[in-house]
Amino acid sequence: MHALRYCLDEAFRTLRRKPGTTLLSMLTIAVAALVLGGFLTVTVNLDRVLARWSSTAEVSVYLRDDISPDQRVALNQLLTSEPVVASRTFVSKADALGRFARDFPDLAAGLDAGAENPLPASIEVRLQPRAVEGSAAEALAQQLRRAPGVADVRYDRTWLTRLAAIVSGLRWAGWLLGAVLIVAAVLTVSTVVRLTLYTRRDEIEVMQLMGAPMGLLRGPLVTEGILHGGGGGLLALALLWMIYATVRPQLAGLLSVVGQPELVTFLPSAAAAALVAGGMVLGGLGGWLAARQVR
Amino acid sequence: MIETLALSKMYGRGIYALKDVSVRIDKGEFVFLTGASGAGKSTFLRLLLRQEIPTDGLVKVGGRNLAKLTLRQVQSYRRTVGFVFQDFKLIPGRTVMENVALVPRVLGETSVQQQRRTYQVLKWVGLQHRMNAYPMELSGGEQQRVAIARALINEPSLVLADEPTGNLDPDLSLEIMNLFRDINARGTTVVVATHDRELIGRVGRRTLTLDHGRVT
Repeated sequence: MHALRYCLDEAFRTLRRKPGTTLLSMLTIAVAALVLGGFLTVTVNLDRVLARWSSTAEVSVYLRDDISPDQRVALNQLLTSEPVVASRTFVSKADALGRFARDFPDLAAGLDAGAENPLPASIEVRLQPRAVEGSAAEALAQQLRRAPGVADVRYDRTWLTRLAAIVSGLRWAGWLLGAVLIVAAVLTVSTVVRLTLYTRRDEIEVMQLMGAPMGLLRGPLVTEGILHGGGGGLLALALLWMIYATVRPQLAGLLSVVGQPELVTFLPSAAAAALVAGGMVLGGLGGWLAARQVR
Repeated sequence: MIETLALSKMYGRGIYALKDVSVRIDKGEFVFLTGASGAGKSTFLRLLLRQEIPTDGLVKVGGRNLAKLTLRQVQSYRRTVGFVFQDFKLIPGRTVMENVALVPRVLGETSVQQQRRTYQVLKWVGLQHRMNAYPMELSGGEQQRVAIARALINEPSLVLADEPTGNLDPDLSLEIMNLFRDINARGTTVVVATHDRELIGRVGRRTLTLDHGRVT
């Protein structure tokens, strides 16, 4: 307890005496954390969009007008036995026409009321949320295409796959860029803490010669690094929130077109805490690298 | 108290800072270590403080072979030794009191204990009235007295001083030496390295003379 208090006292004392270099050190951590946090926020949001849209992914099975009752039963049995199927809805020819008239009233007005309904009956098959990531859904679509009584099957997952690839790419880019910035931040913190070591060299030498424990010689330097990292992490979080608050209305407006403006969110609290904690770990690492010179 | 046997310290290839030094300093003794610059005075003190390990021979303090101490034992040993530097090595940003209380604070003494001991030791060197001053506000003699107070705060059994009057005028030098005599009078073993033969003559204690790393 005494050691912790001593380390904190000394680290805060150094922070007060060197506000300029402290701020520089915090800023480098903040930039690294901001980039990581920014990518994390973007990927978290894209993940949510992907999950939401994946959960609404459907296979539309259009039936031939001359489908027999036996073929219909066989089709239902196939869909019941498939684990990737979450639910299914039968849309009759009349229902399809009703929807068409509701969604496209101008076009529906052109349809001859006396003519035969040109729209086919269909089964809308909703898939399990994770089904789009694997090949099971595609296999089901292939199986349905071959089934008797089926006119056509629509399962367009290209755009979902593309979105998933973008999210994955962004995540990797974030980690890569973040890793470079992390190394830069750790080296900067280490250099700044080394400056402290340089300015305190007489004090440290005196303490060494008077038998001070190594932990209390190195501890304040590591603590200083941790404080730089924590400060940088908090700064990054504040900046991230400001950017989020600025950008959110535009993004929400964009997503409201598809009726899902609530999909835009800030970092989850656990990730935000991890960002600050990560900054402290990085700062501590930088401090420890500098403190190793005390022997 | 201090015993060295065929003590040698070599830096680089074949360059001896000390060569075959065998001396004995008894408990409670006051000894001057003298010689020209480069004679090996500072190296001898560094070996006594376990800042260096001998290349050959033995150095024992209080019966302990210093070369065999672990890091933790070195720390513990150093708490029984006070060290005074030529350039004082006071921390500019800390007050006299903070400078002297540095080690008790590090070792976890309470504020009340620190203040009491610091006040006592500053009173002993006659600087209790300057405890809130910063080193730069003090004269050279006062700064060295603060450094001596800091060396005494742990009540060491051995005090080592490396050219403690090197930056002081003759009157202040004698004043500082009188302080070392007072420290010795309390039973503390004192070893002072100095090249000032006139000062040694005025104080008049046993003198070990080093010349090119050997005791003459």
